[in-house]
Amino acid sequence: MNPDEKTRHFLLRAGFGLSPADTHSTPSIDKLMAKGEASKPIRIVEKADLEAMKPKGEERKVLFQKAKKQVLELNGRWVSQLADPSIRVREKMTLFWHDHFACRIRAPYLAQQQNNILRENSLGSFRELLTQVSKDPGMLQFLNNQQNKKNSPNENFAREVLELFTMGRGNYTEQDIKNAARAFTGWAFNPMTAKFVFREKVHDEGPKVFKGKKGNLAGEDILKIVLDDKQTARFITEQLCNYFVFTGKLDDDFIQELSSSFYASGYNIHSLMKKIFSSDWFYDARFRGNRIKSPIELVAGMLSQTGGTFENPQASLFIQRALSQILFYPPNVGGWPTGTSWIDSSSLTFRMSLSNLLFKNGETNVEAKDDGDINNVTNTSGSRKLSLNADWSKLASDFMKSNFVETLDGIQFYLLATSPTAANRKIVEKLVDTSGNDPEFIKKAFVAFMSLPEYQLS
Amino acid sequence: MTTRRQFIQKSLLGTAGTLLVPGFLKAFEKSAMATKGNKKLVIIQLSGGNDGLNTIVPYRNDLYYRARPTLAISKESVLKASDDLGFHPALANLNALYDKGYVSVLNNVGYPNPDRSHFRSMDIWQTASASNDYLDTGWVGRFLDSSCQSCATHKAIEIDDTLSLAMKGETIKGMAMKNPDKLYKGLRGNLFHEISSANSAQDINDPALHYLYKTMAETISSAELIHEKSNVARSRGVYPEGEFSARLKTVSELIKADLDTSVYYVSLSGFDTHVNQINQHQRLLATYADGVNAFVNDLGDTIMKEVLILTFSEFGRRVSQNASGGTDHGTANNVFLISGDLKKKGFLNETPDLSSLDEGDLIHRVDFRSVYATILDKWLEVPSQKILKSSFNTLSFI
Repeated sequence: MNPDEKTRHFLLRAGFGLSPADTHSTPSIDKLMAKGEASKPIRIVEKADLEAMKPKGEERKVLFQKAKKQVLELNGRWVSQLADPSIRVREKMTLFWHDHFACRIRAPYLAQQQNNILRENSLGSFRELLTQVSKDPGMLQFLNNQQNKKNSPNENFAREVLELFTMGRGNYTEQDIKNAARAFTGWAFNPMTAKFVFREKVHDEGPKVFKGKKGNLAGEDILKIVLDDKQTARFITEQLCNYFVFTGKLDDDFIQELSSSFYASGYNIHSLMKKIFSSDWFYDARFRGNRIKSPIELVAGMLSQTGGTFENPQASLFIQRALSQILFYPPNVGGWPTGTSWIDSSSLTFRMSLSNLLFKNGETNVEAKDDGDINNVTNTSGSRKLSLNADWSKLASDFMKSNFVETLDGIQFYLLATSPTAANRKIVEKLVDTSGNDPEFIKKAFVAFMSLPEYQLS
Repeated sequence: MTTRRQFIQKSLLGTAGTLLVPGFLKAFEKSAMATKGNKKLVIIQLSGGNDGLNTIVPYRNDLYYRARPTLAISKESVLKASDDLGFHPALANLNALYDKGYVSVLNNVGYPNPDRSHFRSMDIWQTASASNDYLDTGWVGRFLDSSCQSCATHKAIEIDDTLSLAMKGETIKGMAMKNPDKLYKGLRGNLFHEISSANSAQDINDPALHYLYKTMAETISSAELIHEKSNVARSRGVYPEGEFSARLKTVSELIKADLDTSVYYVSLSGFDTHVNQINQHQRLLATYADGVNAFVNDLGDTIMKEVLILTFSEFGRRVSQNASGGTDHGTANNVFLISGDLKKKGFLNETPDLSSLDEGDLIHRVDFRSVYATILDKWLEVPSQKILKSSFNTLSFI
């Protein structure tokens, strides 16, 4: 039995679209959300490589090359996990948290460690997730908390924890930030073990006032006060709804109801997501098929919908660079932009030509930008020979129907979040000639539908 | 034998003779000039953090020579331009423009609480944000948003394959292209073009999908217009070899084609000189100066009265050299303004103060957003306050 529109919408948002297996046994939303999928941590980089960027001269070059290779492997591994239908909900959640707790980490080991924290807790307790991320070496380094000391406080970490990670702007004062920064003094990590350490000597033990609470507050106290504030539940609920439901303004009643239950559940992310995906309004027509896919969502979708894999992980990294979304390299702590920000004349041209390049072993003459940073290991010329391997014979057995129109109807429903215009359907029909064998035909149909503007939406 | 697909492509192209463009978009081509006059801004971004102290050299300052025992440019080789400052010897061609009265140099440009990471500092320069603020739009993009709702996407053109954040507005974005031919030929007979021709953005109600169709139609409309106009304005100017000069040559052709483009954007990368800086920096500065000189000469004095070139980098470098024959990330830096219509020429403000540093870095004296405000208010003649989200003093170079 084929999946229905509801399931398709759910999987486009909670994952990266339908996968070939879904055409055989329709997954029920309840079953998919019944319990969280298994967490599949990434373990590619070994700890010894932590100091890779420090040494000088020849040794530095060798370690730099090694780090470069590891960043590529890490990136490639995550892309393939994102595209793995058996863990799609958890991986999509991990991608959301990577955007929420946006962090650029140079050392591949630290990047991997943080990514696994996000993955492990992506459907768990936000309380636990926030605590672990706040004590994560990569985050402490990125937000300069290693430099946050009693005699010279650095407010960067405290500011972003409040502004971007928990409460949102306007819910605290500058004085609160100063006091929170003092409370976080001494939160650091040991570069040799890559573990959190509390450096008592540089911790400011003096009395502080934070959001009306007085005492010799420590970092843990700040997080507790923040989590006790219902505004944090509201802010996180809004962020999740903007990402999974609708980018624009949502009904205040929805948000209020969801955030109250999120707060009452002790910040249980899984319950919140289940509530969202089980609600009637999530499936309302005004929320369907109108979200512009981020570049990673676009690529992960192409992979999971075809079961394809990149012949060369460099190609995947090249696409990420060309479309301005490199995993592990968000533009700033605010995360990636959304919606129409992804689309300009050159990015749209490239996005719409992507399936043709990938599935027909194309070579693009597009050049991705170099950000000028010689230590940025993603600034490689990369492979512009783009190629995705997919098993078209297998896909043919999944998708061939008794006639041309039915087959195209099936693929159209399977790939697109919204029906194409009549003119586009005609264009697809013209492109898909029946002269070749079945796998050839299916491939042409996939490439054609994926080239439509409608495919840019989820 | 003609395949079915080729036949369709041929007939689509054949009927119109040119790319098919929905009629309502043709109107864009004649859109009213949003800015008064015909001023052009050419932005040159030096990516990686250009070493400003070895670019404009304080050749009479002992502190400079002490901080850079092996990297400093010797007094003898500096191209002296004032009593205190001179150009790196690789900048002979910039020096020539300076002698002609075409160059202003603004020292100590930066912003409060400087960020020493490339991506973040470049983000700040491109979005014109404060260092603790994060914006999704660029300052040129917001110029398009605020001044030019009826403009075509080619109102701002970046000569590259991908578009920088600086060029992205909330509702309008500039366009990126390497050159008009590549853009035009890339779209001609392409599926992208076929889809756009077969649909009309006006008929699409969903805002996201409408935006996609609108972008497609505008891309084709602009590509066609640019191709048509630039065909009659082939540059005969002599340029040095290399990608950077080729891009400037493209800008020159587009300017001569009399498009209603107000802003052009070109980048030159490689300035992150942590290790063995001397040769690499010299090569990059020569590439920059030789390219710009060819560009200015190609345009000629009349057109250069309408053109302002702004050159910046995301930060300067530390005053002291490091142990690898290079320099690490710094803060304030110099900015170049080149035009045939400068109101104030030469060195516009004080030389960098090497005796008063902030942890080894120069302290900024001029906020880069004052430079943007000046350009927006006085050159592009649009109110800068809304675009920069704050009011900044304007300067007197134009």
